[in-house]
Order: sequence, then structure tokens, then C-alpha cells
Amino acid sequence: MDVLHRRRTDQVVVSTMTVIAPWREKAATERDLRNLGFMGGASTFGLGVALARPDVPVWVLDGDGSLAMQLGSLLTIANATPRRFLHVVFHNGVYDTSGAQPVLSEGRMSFCGLAEGAGYVKAVRFDDVETFDASLDELLEVDGPVLVELMTEPLNRPYQRSAPAPRSRRRRWR
Amino acid sequence: MVETTKPATAIPAALLLDALKRAGVTDVVAVPDTHVRTLIALMQQTDDMRFIQTATEDEAVTLAAGLIVGGRTPLVQIQHAGLYACVNHLRGVAMDGAFPMLFMIGLLGRDPAKAPRDNFDSMVRFAEPLLDTFGVPYYLLDGPDDIGMVEVAMRQAKERSGPVALLIGEQTS
Repeated sequence: MDVLHRRRTDQVVVSTMTVIAPWREKAATERDLRNLGFMGGASTFGLGVALARPDVPVWVLDGDGSLAMQLGSLLTIANATPRRFLHVVFHNGVYDTSGAQPVLSEGRMSFCGLAEGAGYVKAVRFDDVETFDASLDELLEVDGPVLVELMTEPLNRPYQRSAPAPRSRRRRWR
Repeated sequence: MVETTKPATAIPAALLLDALKRAGVTDVVAVPDTHVRTLIALMQQTDDMRFIQTATEDEAVTLAAGLIVGGRTPLVQIQHAGLYACVNHLRGVAMDGAFPMLFMIGLLGRDPAKAPRDNFDSMVRFAEPLLDTFGVPYYLLDGPDDIGMVEVAMRQAKERSGPVALLIGEQTS
């Protein structure tokens, strides 16, 4: 999160599920859009923003379980070829909020492989934060959708019931 | 069985496209659909709106939401089976997010002599009851005379800040 936060300027950042809380603690701006209640939608939501506003870079902070629910979105994004689109997948191998059940085919599958196969311009896996930090500036210059697969540890943040958001608050994330 | 007063007839694709333009549609987010394939062919050719294909209907809904955030006016074009497939996104994105989102839903396989909810095919029969359950307003376009409903539906989506659906009763010509 710190690595991304240090590069944050005018990007629209779409976050989802487990990623939302730690990102919000780091960097909450009016350009943060949070997706809850429909797992897997963050990437195409971000794509919509990117296609509507090609002048604004879009970062999607996705989860491995979330992306697994909408793998077809990789094809949709690659086909649409958004130019300034960074798709970050936090790959911790589990469905963190629901009790750390394993993501399917964990240990054998690669989101980078899936993204490359779908037609992303570039896809890179990082096993340590130092290498990610050293590589990110170059990746942000790539013209086309880029996927970054970050190998991380579970946060152990189980789902907690929250009070229903009033309509006015729900509308804010627009 | 309830017979409709007159059988549904095909709406020419060009007529529908013009109505969508008048309604201010800037982007069409679509999953391929046999029912309106002639319209899709026109949409892919026109310079007046952008055609964006998605792999699933879930993606079409979230992508359209992102477009709206960015100031565009999208149409989500899907089939009745796709409506059933994206129910959670209809709820969690279009409704809970209060997005003025216009859907165009093709009723593939509909017996044009019968009202949709009186059709034998469950894909046709359950479309209107599902929209009723979710409180989503809809308009059945059963022929060229109904074309004015396109602008009405778009206006309503914006006024209510929520989804509104157009049901295409017969395959477009």
C-alpha cells in the first residue's frame, strides 16, 4: 500500500473487499471509489471510468477471490485497451473476509498468466515489496492495461456486520 | 392464456438506433444477443455512440456504472437470460448505487402473439415478474409505435436515479 500511496497523484482508485480498509487508512481522497456487495466488479467498474475519462489514470485494487469471480473481465479489459489502467491484484490465496478459505487452484494458477493470455499489454508478479517499489514507476509508463500480481499474506480481517448505509452515504461513492 | 390485442412486430434497427441517439445514449455496453443482432450491427458501425462488448452481463452493469461516474450516458444491452445472470449486480450496483442506468433486454424466443408473462418459455415468462420484484420500471416495446418509450425510459432513469428497462418484444429487423 505504501508503494502505491507514494505515487498517488490524480489517479482514480477503485478498491474492493479486503483491500478497502487498508487503502482507506492510507489514502482517502475524493477520487477513491469503493466496491462492496458485488464481488468481482471492481475491474470493469474501473474500466468504465477509464473509458469515460481517458485523461485520468485509473488504478484498480483487486482481490484474488474477487477477480476469480469475474475472470471474463480480463478479456473485456484487454479488448477495450484502456491506456492508463493499472490492475493490482492482491494475491493472498484466501477468501479473507469469509474465514480464509483457499482460492481455487491456489499454488498452481497465475493471475499474470491469465492476464497475459487475455491480452493485457503487460503482467508482472512480485513476491517482495522492494522489487515492486523499484519497478512500479516503469510500469506506470506502459501504454495499455497492466496487471500487477502482488503475493501477500492474509490480513485476517473477517467480515463484520455493519449498519445499513443511508442512501445519501451510498450515493457518495459515485 | 391471455392473448395480446395484437401480435408484437419487429422494430427496424435504424429506428431504434435513432431513438437511442435522441435519448442521449453515448455508449452501448453489450453482451451479444441474437434478438437484436441487427441493432448491434448498426451500433458497431455508428460513430455516434461507442460500442463496448463485455464477456458477462455482470461486467456490463459495473462497466456502465463506471461510465456514468465518468459523465457518460450508457445503455446496457442484454438478453433476458443475461438479466437473470446479473441480478446481484442489478441490485448491488444499479439500484444500491443509485445509477441512472437504462437496460435494453431482448426477449428472445417470445411468442409474439402472447404477453411475455403468458409465454411457455420460462426465460420470457419471468422477465417482467423479476423486474416487478426488484421495483425496476420497464416498458415493453412491441412494435415501431412504441419507440417513444425509449426517451421516456431514459428520462425516468435519470429522474429516479436508478435502473429502468426496455423490453424488446420481437426480434429487430
